[in-house]
Amino acid sequence: MLGYIAKRTALILPVVLGVCVIVFVLIHLIPGDPAMVMLGQDASPEEVARLRSAMGLDRPLAVQLGSFLLRLAHGDLGVSIFQGEPVSRLVLKQLPATCELAVASMLIAVLIAVPLGVISAVKQHSLVDVASMGFAQLGVSMPVFWLGVLLILNFSLRWGLLPSVGRGKPFLEGLAVLLRTGDYLPLADSLRHLTMPALTLGLTTAALITRMVRSSMLEVLHQDYVRTARAKGAPERAVIYRHALRNALLPVVTIVGMQFGALLGGAVVTETVFAWPGIGRLAITAISQRDFPLVQGCVLVVALVFSLLNLAVDVSYTLIDPRVRHGIAQRQ
Amino acid sequence: MRKNKLVLATALVLVLVTMAGCRGSSSGPSAPASEPRQELRVGLDVDAGTADPRLARDTSARRVVDLVFNGLVWLDPELKPQPALATSWRQIDPTTWEFTLREGVKFHDGSELTAEDVKYTYDTLLDPAFKAPYRSLYAPIKEVIALDKYHVRFVLSQPYAPLLSYLDMGIVPRAAAQAAGDSFGTKPIGTGPFKLVKWEKNNRIEFEAFPDYWGGVPKLEKVTFLIIPDNTVRAAALEAGDVDLIHSPLSAQDIPRLQANPKLKVEKTNALGFTYVSFNCADPILKDVRVRRALAHLIDKKTISSTIYQGMDTPGKSPLVPAMWAYSDEIKDPEYDPARAREFLAQAGWKDTDGDGVLDRGGKKLTISLKTHSEDPNRIQVVEFLQNEFRKAGIEATVETTEWPTFRDAVQKGDYQLAVLGWLALVDPDRAMYNQFHSRGASNDGKYSNPRVDELLEKGRATTDIEERKKIYREAAQIVVDEVAYAVILYQGYVVAYNQKVSGFQIHPNASFASLARVTIK
Amino acid sequence: MKRARNKSVILGGVLIGGLLFVAAFAPFIAGDPYHMDMSQRLLPPGPGHPLGTDQFGRDLWARLVFGSRVSLQVGIVSVGIACTLGTALGLLAGYAGGWVDAVIMRLVDIFLAFPVILLAIALIAVLGPSPVNLMIAIGLVNWTMYARVVRANVLALKHREFVEAARALGLRDRAIMLKHVLPNTLSPIIVLATLGLGHAIVAESTLSFLGLGVQPPEPSWGWTLAFGMKYLRDAPHLSTMPGMAIMLTVLGFNLLGDGIRDMIDPRTRNRA
Repeated sequence: MLGYIAKRTALILPVVLGVCVIVFVLIHLIPGDPAMVMLGQDASPEEVARLRSAMGLDRPLAVQLGSFLLRLAHGDLGVSIFQGEPVSRLVLKQLPATCELAVASMLIAVLIAVPLGVISAVKQHSLVDVASMGFAQLGVSMPVFWLGVLLILNFSLRWGLLPSVGRGKPFLEGLAVLLRTGDYLPLADSLRHLTMPALTLGLTTAALITRMVRSSMLEVLHQDYVRTARAKGAPERAVIYRHALRNALLPVVTIVGMQFGALLGGAVVTETVFAWPGIGRLAITAISQRDFPLVQGCVLVVALVFSLLNLAVDVSYTLIDPRVRHGIAQRQ
Repeated sequence: MRKNKLVLATALVLVLVTMAGCRGSSSGPSAPASEPRQELRVGLDVDAGTADPRLARDTSARRVVDLVFNGLVWLDPELKPQPALATSWRQIDPTTWEFTLREGVKFHDGSELTAEDVKYTYDTLLDPAFKAPYRSLYAPIKEVIALDKYHVRFVLSQPYAPLLSYLDMGIVPRAAAQAAGDSFGTKPIGTGPFKLVKWEKNNRIEFEAFPDYWGGVPKLEKVTFLIIPDNTVRAAALEAGDVDLIHSPLSAQDIPRLQANPKLKVEKTNALGFTYVSFNCADPILKDVRVRRALAHLIDKKTISSTIYQGMDTPGKSPLVPAMWAYSDEIKDPEYDPARAREFLAQAGWKDTDGDGVLDRGGKKLTISLKTHSEDPNRIQVVEFLQNEFRKAGIEATVETTEWPTFRDAVQKGDYQLAVLGWLALVDPDRAMYNQFHSRGASNDGKYSNPRVDELLEKGRATTDIEERKKIYREAAQIVVDEVAYAVILYQGYVVAYNQKVSGFQIHPNASFASLARVTIK
Repeated sequence: MKRARNKSVILGGVLIGGLLFVAAFAPFIAGDPYHMDMSQRLLPPGPGHPLGTDQFGRDLWARLVFGSRVSLQVGIVSVGIACTLGTALGLLAGYAGGWVDAVIMRLVDIFLAFPVILLAIALIAVLGPSPVNLMIAIGLVNWTMYARVVRANVLALKHREFVEAARALGLRDRAIMLKHVLPNTLSPIIVLATLGLGHAIVAESTLSFLGLGVQPPEPSWGWTLAFGMKYLRDAPHLSTMPGMAIMLTVLGFNLLGDGIRDMIDPRTRNRA
C-alpha cells in the first residue's frame, strides 16, 4: 500500500513539470509582452525594447526556461511583474476563495446528483427518471455565463434575495466567529454571497454526476450479488441502500475527484460573472497583462492541487474497494 | 423557455433551503436608522494595477490615486490647474517654474510634506529604471530642485507649455516610499482625503477618511471599490442597491434604463478621450491619401454614435475633443458619402473591372483588414459595422479581434491596415497630438509624416500664449483630418450613475473621483 | 427498456436530423444573415422577422440558420481533431506498452491537470483568432478522454484470442492495431464523440463570452449568445434564441450518444 502511494506520488513530479514547461512555452509564444503592457500606449517602440531587455525577455526562450526551472527547483515561483509581490503569496491569497467555491458547488452537485441518479435508476423509465435525466441534459447544455446572469437578474434584481456579486466574509472565518461568539451574521453574509456562484457551477456539475450515478447504479442493480440479495428475500430498500448504493458510488468518487479539479481551474467564467476573487480571475488577468510568472504560478498550483486530489481519490479508492486493493481490477 | 424555467425552479428551491439558515441577515445589521452610514460603495470594471501614482496606468489605479494622493495642482472640471499641494507658482523664464508648497500638509503616516518629497516624486518618475508609463510626458523636465522646505523649482530642457496640466501627479512621501520599495504600490501613503486600509485583489479596495486631511475631514467615513468585471452585472448591482455608484465603461443600452429608474441619477459629460480608426500610412494600399479619404467617407459616424453608443459618445471630427480648450467645431472632416468614396477610389485606380462586385487594380482585389481588441464590445461592433459598409462599397474587408496585448503588439509593429482604438486623459492638445502625429512621435503607429505638422507641434509645445496655441493646434488638426492619419469616429462621453442618496458628487471630464472628499450620504 | 432507449435515440435523431437539414438547406429557408439595417435593430419577434433582429438589424432567424453551419463545423472539426489524436495515442499506448505507454499517459495526465479554459485561451492567443484555430484549440483540450478510453479498451483486447491469433499468424503490429484492435474500440469512441460534439458547441460559446470566439461577422451561436447577454434586459430574444438553439443541439447530441451507448454496450444490452 505504502509502495503504491509512493509510486503514485512520484508520478506527480513529471506531470507538474510538464505542465510548467507547456505553460511557459505557450505564454511566451503569445504575441505581446509585459514590457509593452506596462509602458502602455504612450511609449515608443524603442522604450519598450529597452525595458524588454532590462527584464531579460530578449534572451533565448530556452535560457529563460532554464532559469525559470532552476528557480522553481529552489521553490521560488518568482515575483509578479505587475503586482510586485511574490507569486506564491498572491496565489495562496486567492486559492481559498476558489476552493470555497469549488467545495460548495461540489456539495450542491453531489446533494442533487446522488439522490436524483439513484431514484432515476431504481425507478427506471418512470416520470422521475425522465425528468431528472432531462434536468441532467439541460445542465450540461446550458452555457455557464448565461445561467449565471439569469440567476443574478432574478434573485438579486427581481426578488432582491441575494447580493448580486462579490465575496462576503471567508466561510471559515464566518464559521469561526459563529463558534466563538455565537454571532451568525458573518457566516450568513458568507453564505449569501456564495449561494449563486456555487449554484451556477454546481448545477452544471450536478448534471454530469447525475448521469454517472444513474448508469453506475443501473449496472450494479443488475449484478449477481444484488440479484442474490433480492432472491434471498431482502427488502428492496435494504438491497438498494445496503448493497447497491455503496458499490455504485465507487466510480462516482473518481468522477467527483476529477470534476473537483476541473472546478478549480474551470471556474474562470463563473468567477468573472460573479466578480468572485478566485484563482481563475487572477490567471485571466495575468494572461491579459502577460504577467508571465503569475500565469505560471496559477497554472502550477492548480495542476498540483488537481494531481494531489486525484492521488487522494485513487488511494481512498484502493482502501474502499477490495477488488482494486488486491489488484484484480485495473483502473482505467 | 419552459426548460429554462425548470432549471430556475430547481435553483429556487435550493436557494430557499440555503437561505433558511440565514434569513435574518438581510435586515440583520440593525444600525440606528436615523443617521445614514457615511459609506460609499463604488463598482469598478477592473482592479487597480497599483496605487502608486507614478506607476498608475489603468483607469482604476487613477481612481485610487484620486482618493489617496494630491498633486501640486489639481485640474478643475474646466481643466484649469488650481492650487492643491502648491499654493502658488510662477514662471521665471521659459524653462524655469517655481512652486510654493502649502505648509503643514500631513501624509497619512503623520509626516509633513516638504519640497524634498516633490523632488523625490519627480526624480523617480523620470528615472527610466522606474518604468513609469507616462514618463515621456515629463521628459522635458531636466531637473527638480528643492530650494528650501516649501519651495521647489522645475528646470526644463526646452519650453514646454503643457507642463502645468501634468503636474497633478500625486506626490509621494520620500522616506516612506523609499522604505517600502515595491510594496508602496499596495500600501500607499499620500496626502489625500482617504487612506487605503484594505485591498483584496480582484475583489475590493477599502478606504477610510483621513482625519488630518489638509482640505478638511471628508464627510464619508468609508469608501469601498468593488471590482465587477461584467458591464451588465455591474449595472444590475447598482439597480439592486449592492453598489452606490458606477461609471464608464457602461453598456450603452443600459443607460436609458438607469435614467428611467427613480432611485438613480445619471450624469453625462464630455470626456477627455476619442475613439478613432488608425490608418497605416506605410501600407502599400493606404499610402495613397485618396484611398484613405475614400475609406473615411465610408465611416458613418452619426449612425455609429446613435445606435452602437446610444448617443453616449458623440460623432467625432478631430483629435481636439470638446472638453479641451483647444476644441473648435470649425474643423471639417470627411462626411459619410459612399458616392464620394467610390470617386476617390476610382481616382486611385480601384475599379470593378471584372464585374464581381469587388474593386480591383492590376488584377488584385482591394482587401482591407480591420483590427480591434476583444475587451471592448462596442469597438467590436464598430469594426463589424464598418466591415459591412466597406463591403457595400466593393471592398473586401476582413475583421480581426484579439485581446489587447496581441492587438497592441501588432499595431505598434505596424502590422495592420486599419485599427480601431482610443485615447484617454487628453488634458492638453499636445497630449492628443504630439506623440500621435509628429513624424518622430512615440505613438505614431501609422508612420504618418508631414513636415508642416511636425513644425506646428513643436511650436505648440514651446508657445505659452493660450490663444496662439489654439490656432496652432487647430491648423495641425485640420491637416491630419484632411490627410486622414486618423479618422476620429467618436468623442467619448463620460457617464456616472449613482443612487439618489449620494449627494455632492461632481462629474469630471477626466473621470476624477476627487469630489468624493465632499460627498455625503443622505 | 428497449422502447425508452429507442425513444431517446429517436428524439436525438430528430433534433440532429433537423439541425443537419437546416444547415444543408440554409440558403433556401432563410435570407441573408449579413444584411444590416440599422433602422430595424433589436426588433422583437414579429412579422418579417420570425425571431426578431439583432443589434445591427440583421434577421436573427437567418443568423441562427446559417449559424448552425458554424456550430456544426466547430463541433465536428474539433471533435475530429480530439478523436483522431486521442485514438491514435491511446492505441499506441495500449498496444506498445512499456515506456511508450508511460510517456503517453504522463502526457494525458499533464493535459488533464492543465486548467481547461486557460489552456484554450492560451492556445487561441498563440495560434491567432480564426475559426480553424478555435477548433484546433477546442480539439487539443479534449483529446485526453479518447486516449484513456481507447487505451483501456486496447489493454482489455490485447490478450484476447483473436489478437493473439493474428500475432501468431505473423501479422505486423500496425496491421493488427488497425484491422483488429481499432474496430473493436470503435463503439466507445462513437459515444464519446457524439457527446463531445455538444461539449464543443458549449465551449465555443464560453470562449465567445471571453471574447475569443469565431470572428465577426460570422453568425456563430456562441457569439450571438455572448453578445445578446449585453441586451438581456431590453431585447431578451437576442440571447434566449441562440441559447435555446445551443441547448437543443447539445440535447440532441447527448440523447443520441446515450442511446447509442445503450444499444451497443453489451453490458447494458443484456440487461433488463
